[in-house]
Amino acid sequence: MSTRETNEAADRARRLQRVAELLAEAVEPQQVLDAILTEGVRAAEARAGAIGILSEDGKNVELLAARGYDAAVMHGWASFPLAAALPMSEVIRTGEPVFVANIEQRNRDYPDLAHQGQDSHALVVVPLAVEGRVFGAMSLSFDEDIEFEPERREMKMALARQAAQALARSRLYAAEQSMRERMTFLAEASELLGSSLDYNSTLRRVAQLSVPGLADWCAIDMVGPNGEIERLAVAHEDPEKVRWAYELQDRYPPDPDAPTGVPQVLRTGEPEFYPELPQELLEEAIADDDELRRIVEELGLKSSICVPLVARGRKLGALTLIAAEKHPAYTQADLDLAIELARRAAIAVDNARLFQEAERGANAARALAYVADGVVLLDDDNHVRHWNPAAAAITGVSEEEALGRPVGDVVSVWDALTSHVPLVAPGRAARTVTVPLVLAGRERWVAVSGVAFGQGTVFALQDVTDEHALEKTRSDFVATASHELRTPLAAVYGAVRTLRRQDVVLSEDDRTQFLEMIESEATRLARIVDQILLAGQLDADAVDVALSECDPAAVAAGVVESAELHLPENISIRLATDSAPRISCDESKLRQVLVNLVDNAVKYSPAGGSVELRVSNGDGACVIDVIDEGLGIPPDESDRIFEKFYRLDPQQTYGVGGSGLGLYICRELVERMDGRLRVESEPGHGSRFTLELPVQR
Amino acid sequence: MRAEVVHPVRSAPLHRPGRAVGRRKLWRCESGSSAPEPPESQGQRSGRVETSGARRVLVIDDERAIRLLCRVNLVASGIDVLEARDGREGLALARKERPDLVLLDVMMPEVDGWTVARELAADEETREIPVVFLTARAEAADKRLGEQLGGVGYLIKPFDPVTIGDYVEEVLARIDRGEREQLRRDISSGPAR
Repeated sequence: MSTRETNEAADRARRLQRVAELLAEAVEPQQVLDAILTEGVRAAEARAGAIGILSEDGKNVELLAARGYDAAVMHGWASFPLAAALPMSEVIRTGEPVFVANIEQRNRDYPDLAHQGQDSHALVVVPLAVEGRVFGAMSLSFDEDIEFEPERREMKMALARQAAQALARSRLYAAEQSMRERMTFLAEASELLGSSLDYNSTLRRVAQLSVPGLADWCAIDMVGPNGEIERLAVAHEDPEKVRWAYELQDRYPPDPDAPTGVPQVLRTGEPEFYPELPQELLEEAIADDDELRRIVEELGLKSSICVPLVARGRKLGALTLIAAEKHPAYTQADLDLAIELARRAAIAVDNARLFQEAERGANAARALAYVADGVVLLDDDNHVRHWNPAAAAITGVSEEEALGRPVGDVVSVWDALTSHVPLVAPGRAARTVTVPLVLAGRERWVAVSGVAFGQGTVFALQDVTDEHALEKTRSDFVATASHELRTPLAAVYGAVRTLRRQDVVLSEDDRTQFLEMIESEATRLARIVDQILLAGQLDADAVDVALSECDPAAVAAGVVESAELHLPENISIRLATDSAPRISCDESKLRQVLVNLVDNAVKYSPAGGSVELRVSNGDGACVIDVIDEGLGIPPDESDRIFEKFYRLDPQQTYGVGGSGLGLYICRELVERMDGRLRVESEPGHGSRFTLELPVQR
Repeated sequence: MRAEVVHPVRSAPLHRPGRAVGRRKLWRCESGSSAPEPPESQGQRSGRVETSGARRVLVIDDERAIRLLCRVNLVASGIDVLEARDGREGLALARKERPDLVLLDVMMPEVDGWTVARELAADEETREIPVVFLTARAEAADKRLGEQLGGVGYLIKPFDPVTIGDYVEEVLARIDRGEREQLRRDISSGPAR
């Protein structure tokens, strides 16, 4: 070996060493490519170099980087078929290097290249392989024609091995890096999705999180309750652009029947992936709209991914990622990531909706469990589907006994209960009908309304027994008041008519009786009217009570004295006073109460007997008892007799007159004087009304 | 001179007089207090006026005022009057005296008018005595009950006592003509009284 050759060999080894060092330092694929195409090309004494990589689908060769070629020469060589009769394709196919000494050889071996690069000289293409698998090739172009000797060939092969390893390592590193980034992103997105049940705001944040790492533009569309597509979020690094995007959307509303994009993805449930957005597609969208053309050009749309959000077979929405001004075109890995993100988002949305539904269900169940109205749901076959506790309480039939059975079996009188209830359509005002319900011997009044919807009927039952009773006592009161007014009116009217008779000469005694009758019956009329008015005032809280010092024994004596004046012959009255204390009360109201109580005692003693007023000194109170030997009061009615309009004998067959207001008025007045009024009684043996008024303080 | 019909309470027209029947002459009434006591005293207030051949009406009402009105005006029409101040007394008197007609109040202590009507109808001895209710109960349901219990008339208080004598004569005349059933049905479906 000559000295020159020895020197050259040493020189090559040094250059290779240098390249190896550089490649070892390079981490990112771009750094590796730079090192190969600068130092590597220089080490090989080449003019230019290029690196091509087998595409993901294995059908094409994609030029990763080139250095030293004219831009004009490189145009159109970004990607070419693996099957092409080109040196790089051939090398990748065969795994064998190609050495071309000059242009004649090149044009002979590769006629496709014959028409270009006429000033070309020697060309070397070596395979890039790791562990026997060829993933690309490196080409080197020289300034001169070279017949490559074995050493130089070996040197090119060594350079290729180094480059291949470095490139593979860096690509692996980049893939790992990118994988880690994706995983990090997914983890972050998942955490976000799981952070809240407000999935709308969560999805907006996911969209925000996707830019600019995953996309230049990210949009999320959701399917609304009526199947309409609603844009939930648009994200871009620049908020100004987001505003612009929304304006754009207003100006060009999306067509729900569009054969591409979100509508198509939501129809098919399949992702739509454009690694490179086809120009035809954009042209079609632009049509002849110059403004739109300007906008689309400004957007610089490159590549897009649209994936559906699908959970439990239901399409909830779609996630769209667009690579435009910054983000590189999308790859299969990006699509996989988008699909995974969409899957997780869909699950989160579904979970949130299920939770909300469950919560709504639970709230509805709580409402139904505690509502005071009975709620009964019947299906098309009139089987009970829901029977809430209030329904159970009203009907006396438990939920367990009712559920799943025909309602007619559950409540035998159901038809009678509901046959008069007009069933209305949902949303219409329900018409309530009040009907009596006699079940297991209990009579209840139930207000029933029903709504018929597609799959059944829902009935609301309200126990209005108390209201009905009140209403009945009110109407009874009107009837009662009318009866009570009629009798004295008959006496007054009749007396006047009789006195004016000219065909009859009345005795002096009869005349006197008629005049007295007119006077007393008119007084009675006035009293009934007064009581009705007073009850009304008590209701309106419009009765003034003026408390002042008074002597209850004196008041009681006065009441007894005037009662004696028109007492039935079979009744006697007496007063017993026992060192009564002076009290603070409204004397006229106290008198009114005692007159009422004495009247009552007399009225409810139709068979006669004695009535006693007993005034005594109680514990810090003055106690006045009104005791009779009359009809008495059944124990279960002893509290009700103080209710307004309540009458011990609603049928009035005893003829005990009154407005049904006397005792109500008494208790109301006593309570307004800070006193208490109660009754003890034994039916058939009389009653004792006890009035307690606080001693003057 | 005939009294005009007066309607002081719109919802309950007063008794409308039928055709004029009975004697039209001035009567000097004997006051209740001076009427002879019945042989068997059924109560201080019951009494009867003996006029042979005259109609006899039993007034059962716990209200003294109503009994007084009926007595004075019926006697003025030449009708004899018996009085009872509650249901029990009324039943006893009806059984004993067999009046030509009973004027019956409804709301009375212990034994009410409905019960009296029921018992009179249940007793063969008293079944034929016509009953005219004279009551403050003005509801349709009450009239229906009065009809069901076999009443021949239903007068609602306030009523015109001046025409009560004519009214009683008319009812009795119609019963004599065999119109009892018609009178009964008229209670709830006939012209308002």
